[in-house]
Amino acid sequence: MKRAVLFGIIAVLVVTSVTFAGAAPRRGGTLRVGLDADPPNMDPHQSTAAVDRQVFQNLFDKLVDLNQDLEIVPMLATSWTIADGGRTYTFRLRPNVVFHDGTPFNAEAVKYNFERMLDRTFGSNRFGEVNLVTGVTVVDDLTVRITLEKPYSPFLAVLSDRAGMMVSPTAARRLGKDFAREPVGAGPYKFVEKRPQERIVLERFDRHWDRTAGNVDRIIYRPFTDENARLANLRADELDIINQVPARDVPALRTDSKIRLLERSGLGWQGMWINVTVPPLNNKALRQALNAAIDRRTIVRVVFGETVTPGNGPFPPGMFTHSAPANSRVPERNLDLARQKLREGGQPNGFALTLKITPGREVQQVGQVIQSMVADVGIRVNLEIVEFGTLLAQHDAGQFQASLLGWSGRPDPDANIYGFFVTGGALNNSKYSNQRVDTLLDAARILTTNDQRRRAYAEIMAILNEDLPYLFIYWPKDYKTLGPKLQGFVHVPDGMVRLRHVWLNP
Amino acid sequence: MSRFLVRRLLLTLPVLFFVSVIVFSLISLIPGDPARVLLGEEVSTDALEVLRKQLGLDRPLHIRYLYWLGRIVKGDLGKSVRDGRPVLDTLLQKLPTTIELAITSLIVAWAIAIPAGVLAAWKRRSAWDYGATTVALAGISIPNFWLGIMLIYLLAVNLRLLPPSGYVEPWIDLSRNLRLMVMPSIVLGSALAALVMRILRSSLIEVLGTDYVRTAHAKGLNDRTVVLKHAMKNAMIPVVTIMGLQLSGLLGGAIITETIFAIPGLGRLAVESILTRDYPMVQGVVLFAALAVVITNLAVDMIYASLDPRIRLEERTA
Repeated sequence: MKRAVLFGIIAVLVVTSVTFAGAAPRRGGTLRVGLDADPPNMDPHQSTAAVDRQVFQNLFDKLVDLNQDLEIVPMLATSWTIADGGRTYTFRLRPNVVFHDGTPFNAEAVKYNFERMLDRTFGSNRFGEVNLVTGVTVVDDLTVRITLEKPYSPFLAVLSDRAGMMVSPTAARRLGKDFAREPVGAGPYKFVEKRPQERIVLERFDRHWDRTAGNVDRIIYRPFTDENARLANLRADELDIINQVPARDVPALRTDSKIRLLERSGLGWQGMWINVTVPPLNNKALRQALNAAIDRRTIVRVVFGETVTPGNGPFPPGMFTHSAPANSRVPERNLDLARQKLREGGQPNGFALTLKITPGREVQQVGQVIQSMVADVGIRVNLEIVEFGTLLAQHDAGQFQASLLGWSGRPDPDANIYGFFVTGGALNNSKYSNQRVDTLLDAARILTTNDQRRRAYAEIMAILNEDLPYLFIYWPKDYKTLGPKLQGFVHVPDGMVRLRHVWLNP
Repeated sequence: MSRFLVRRLLLTLPVLFFVSVIVFSLISLIPGDPARVLLGEEVSTDALEVLRKQLGLDRPLHIRYLYWLGRIVKGDLGKSVRDGRPVLDTLLQKLPTTIELAITSLIVAWAIAIPAGVLAAWKRRSAWDYGATTVALAGISIPNFWLGIMLIYLLAVNLRLLPPSGYVEPWIDLSRNLRLMVMPSIVLGSALAALVMRILRSSLIEVLGTDYVRTAHAKGLNDRTVVLKHAMKNAMIPVVTIMGLQLSGLLGGAIITETIFAIPGLGRLAVESILTRDYPMVQGVVLFAALAVVITNLAVDMIYASLDPRIRLEERTA
């Protein structure tokens, strides 16, 4: 009896120790990441491509970061206070942090970084994100105070992305614009080499402040523009994680025994831009007719299956502003309403419309479904495929009636709406102008609590649903596909591949 | 021979000049502001102004061309707008990759085409002939992108015989480099083999009908000696032309194959540069490709001359 008990205890100990051993991070190995495009520029202050940010997550530390719930969490800044109605941010910085080249990270370094972004002769692409900053003061070695021209609630979210990534002042001063070729940050991995369209190699930085970071020895990023080839490489065990999979592969990947598919709702939105300054859609009733003739749920079901969510606004699930009914309630298709609006707009038999789309299977299918749906009320859609760069030019010149184009999304709601619908906004392709919306958009930047901001955005959405400069159609989900070796990956809805705490099983 | 060579080399300069003017004008005609495309989602009116100035887009076209020409003469192809690296550096980095892919593809093509062509001509109208022709036609008809993906799934994913895609420099890991070249070379080579095979076949048939071949037969030489030793040399002349054209085409990059197999060659570079309106890089790639065509043409002419003495003499009297 005693022996049985003894055996039992030993068995339990063995089992628990084995399971814990399996769950403990292992150091070592080379992690291979498959990206959907080749990141062109390794300088966060100059970068414009979204895919650059993937590499930056592990090369550069930022002042603050995001967790899985899109909340702001400390990184290089350990705490902060906001005063003066939202105009003054005082950050306490983490001690004993060095850049990859040994330069110490401190308040002076933060000040230098902001000066670099605001320097008009340098021409940083982050300027528009931080141009409200009027001053950066070094209070002491580990305290920095940033003052803004006016309150700006999205500021911390901005600092959780490229504008908050700290570059080594020594390297940046020495290299200027060539910093992109020899980037020096404070992240857990340092830069080794970059061969265009071939690979980017990072290596563990041994003096990183987070002793639990950097389990993997090296990270290799490889671009695969062809999505089939990317997935094939993952399947053939040549990659450990890939970013983005084709929608049609998702059902099979869900049941695949060897690789894991992670799914989260994303931050972006997709739909139709409408130029409100040219006929036929300069007529609001006709825009409403078009909107009523579209069935969002069917479009999603036919083209994407479960890989996107039908939507009606710029705030996908997961954002704190999502729940406003004007944003989240997906209207039903209503042909009677459509016909009524057509009569109101003076076109009872419908009208002709050219819808521009970029090359791509899925967007073409969306276009075709829309085309057939609105034909039921006499709206005759002509689909025109236009190369992306050309489409951008046509948008700027207002040479279009409608186009299918969306936005990849940012964590703070302001970045998902402001530039698109404010009068004269750089991303306002519709040329829409509404003073009440402008006022509310500016107010939502100044208001400080989530509740207040949510109410402001709800009111904006109610107006946009009426005026329809843009028809929101769906919210893409974010997918990450992992091979069997990669462990400890945390999937954050901003779609970024954060690798500092992952490890590889053999 | 050397006078011939010098004359041909001098002729390349006007060709390159002409090509550069055409390319420069054509790219500028593509709609889309490079600054706008570069900024993509990060656009703001300030950023646009600054970038346009940096790119020199505020100057008129012919001024920009003259600036560019002036730098080219000094060997400076400018800097890529997308990543700031010197264009020449990037081109030189990708050139060995493209050359390697071109050569391995041609080897595959010739390995298929030459035996098939000789066999088809020698045993014409037999089962060998029809069989070889069918295989050759299949090679042209099967689309590159389909064949590529099929090969990846079959050989790399299912059978795990070869790595699926990518590239590693031969001096870093030669065995992996060669294994990575197998599938792309098959894809490209199979498409090229067909043409070579057909041309060789008809050329060889024609040569086999000439007087001197009949004389050789009459002398009592066996079939194999006649075909391989006497007829092939002459039959190869049009084949060498085709090979030259194919090589110069490949040196411009094989876009689809490079994309599927993630090979960092000049083809992908060209397409990406056009889509991102990276003017300096497009100029550089096209100029490179034009140079490649000119040089391979020259090499082909040299080979002609060595294959057929009549050509050498003609050149001299002309």
